[in-house]
Amino acid sequence: MADLKIQELGKTYPGGVTAVSDVNIDIADGEFIVLVGPSGCGKSTILRMIAGLETITTGELQIEGRRVNNLEPGERDIAMVFQNYALYPHMSVRKNMEYGLKNEGLPKAQIAERIAEASRTLRLEDYLDRKPRQLSGGQRQRVAMGRAIVRDPKVFLFDEPLSNLDAKLRTQLRAELKALHNRLGATFIYVTHDQVEAMSLADRIVIMNHGVVEQIGTPMDLYLRPASRFVADFIGTPAMNMFEGKLSADGGSVLVDGGHTFGLNTPVNGSAGTQVVIGIRPEHLHRGDGHDIRLPLTVGFVEQLGADTVVHGTLNGGSEALSVRFSGVQMPETGSIIELGCAAENLHMFDVVTGRRLG
Amino acid sequence: MVENRPVLTFVTHAVLITGVVFLCFPVWMAVVASTHGPEALSQAPIPLWFGDRAWENYSQLLAGGLPEAGGVPIGRMMFNSLIMALVITFGKIAISIISAYAIVYFRFPFRMGFFWMIFITLMLPVEVRILPTFDVVTKLGMLNSYYGLTIPLIASATATFLFRQFFLTIPDELVEAARIDRAGPIRFFLDILLPMSRTNIAALFIILFIFGWNQYLWPLLVTTDEGLYTVVMGIQRMVNSGEALPVWHYIMGTAVLAMIPPVFVVIAMQKLFVKGLVESEK
Repeated sequence: MADLKIQELGKTYPGGVTAVSDVNIDIADGEFIVLVGPSGCGKSTILRMIAGLETITTGELQIEGRRVNNLEPGERDIAMVFQNYALYPHMSVRKNMEYGLKNEGLPKAQIAERIAEASRTLRLEDYLDRKPRQLSGGQRQRVAMGRAIVRDPKVFLFDEPLSNLDAKLRTQLRAELKALHNRLGATFIYVTHDQVEAMSLADRIVIMNHGVVEQIGTPMDLYLRPASRFVADFIGTPAMNMFEGKLSADGGSVLVDGGHTFGLNTPVNGSAGTQVVIGIRPEHLHRGDGHDIRLPLTVGFVEQLGADTVVHGTLNGGSEALSVRFSGVQMPETGSIIELGCAAENLHMFDVVTGRRLG
Repeated sequence: MVENRPVLTFVTHAVLITGVVFLCFPVWMAVVASTHGPEALSQAPIPLWFGDRAWENYSQLLAGGLPEAGGVPIGRMMFNSLIMALVITFGKIAISIISAYAIVYFRFPFRMGFFWMIFITLMLPVEVRILPTFDVVTKLGMLNSYYGLTIPLIASATATFLFRQFFLTIPDELVEAARIDRAGPIRFFLDILLPMSRTNIAALFIILFIFGWNQYLWPLLVTTDEGLYTVVMGIQRMVNSGEALPVWHYIMGTAVLAMIPPVFVVIAMQKLFVKGLVESEK
């Protein structure tokens, strides 16, 4: 268990490609941090730099106050779980978990004790003498976690550990992971491209795009106050409705290209005519005409999800796409018009050029 | 392509049986001939069933030493062949697996250059480089020794290439997991790479053992001492025994004996080989 300090971390490959630049994250002891972003955003590179599998080109990495930039992975006191499990195929489950401890030179009795405890935690006792190929995907991933747990590291690193599993198993293992974190109280750093995993697991999320950090915050920070258009778009399904428009002279409303006007709760600073993006989450739209902001939806197609109904269509029959999420089963006719509205405080506004949040 | 027609079944079996007969007939003849006396084999028709001199022929071969083969007992020649085949096999596997490990897992200057140098030697089999190799062996004073018999045949581009291709299929994550588990390069090689390669090693062992066992030209060149003759050379010497008639019953007996070790290796290794194939999963 330990805190991590990541300062101005950067990675440039010999060919001149910059994978990651200027990353600053302070991770507290026992925190569950999730790095999330689309593929190629550099999240795995950061994790691999923390692990020591990738060299650090610029910046500094400290684990528990100690600079570890130039330490071998084995010397950093970390453990890592890989997407494809990376179990040693010729070793039994027990041997897989033992291997790192043996290399550390731990006494036999202590090794046996740790393995017994880890296999109890992960319900692997019956499989200790099996080979990885005799196990299912979920069991293999549990063995990989067991291999990490027995080492009792300061930091646990997870590189998309659930991506190779089917949806049901993923949900189950997600819960187990969260429980494991609570039990161990260790620092977890977890990489995923799945926003549901990020939202449900993280104490804090680091959301990345094109090798830079877009926002660091709790899941609710990211959901309620996304710092940029990218974050707003990435977090939440279905994705946030976005409308480009121009700020009015008094900064109190926005005229969308389709001819629709959004009144703002609190005026923002900015010269008249500034190009902005208005965002509204589909679940913040409600039926009725008594709202601050009113949006008529022309129904295109309907997704029935059982608990929810997602209706996709266009704003007032124009070219702007608009979707809404109702709870429960609803069956609107294609082509019909639904009067929708939302509270002004649920509006998000971003600068078109920089993508940063306004107001 | 799964059809169930009696005529086709008959035809396929007929073809297969014919093939088996063609393959096995010479072996059968060798076994049969080694149980007859010299007279039975020098007249037509030659016998197709066992004679009564098996015991005599084989005890003479194994113990006595034949003047036709330079007086060296077959046992001695078999031993020489075995030493040569085993040293070549183990040497080839050891050297090629280590060089493949270096080429795949370590970054050093001219890495690809070295790989291509090894690869290009695939085009130079023993026969092509036999004169310069002989020259080197002579100058090193290795004629008439087990060193001269084995060392020049140990380098193997084929095996290096095979191991390289296999190592490239091992996922990087496994190497990374080992690094996190504090396994250094030697640990990783011994604990992970070597056990994972056992299928390939078994397959190579079969091929290389037979290659080493069947060497004829090279031992013929570097050995003049009869105590170092190999069994394959022995057979050839018996056939070309100058004025006298070839002693076919002894020649065939030697051939049968010479077949035993390779057959044994194939049978023993095949189990491991197939087991490895079934089990291997990365």
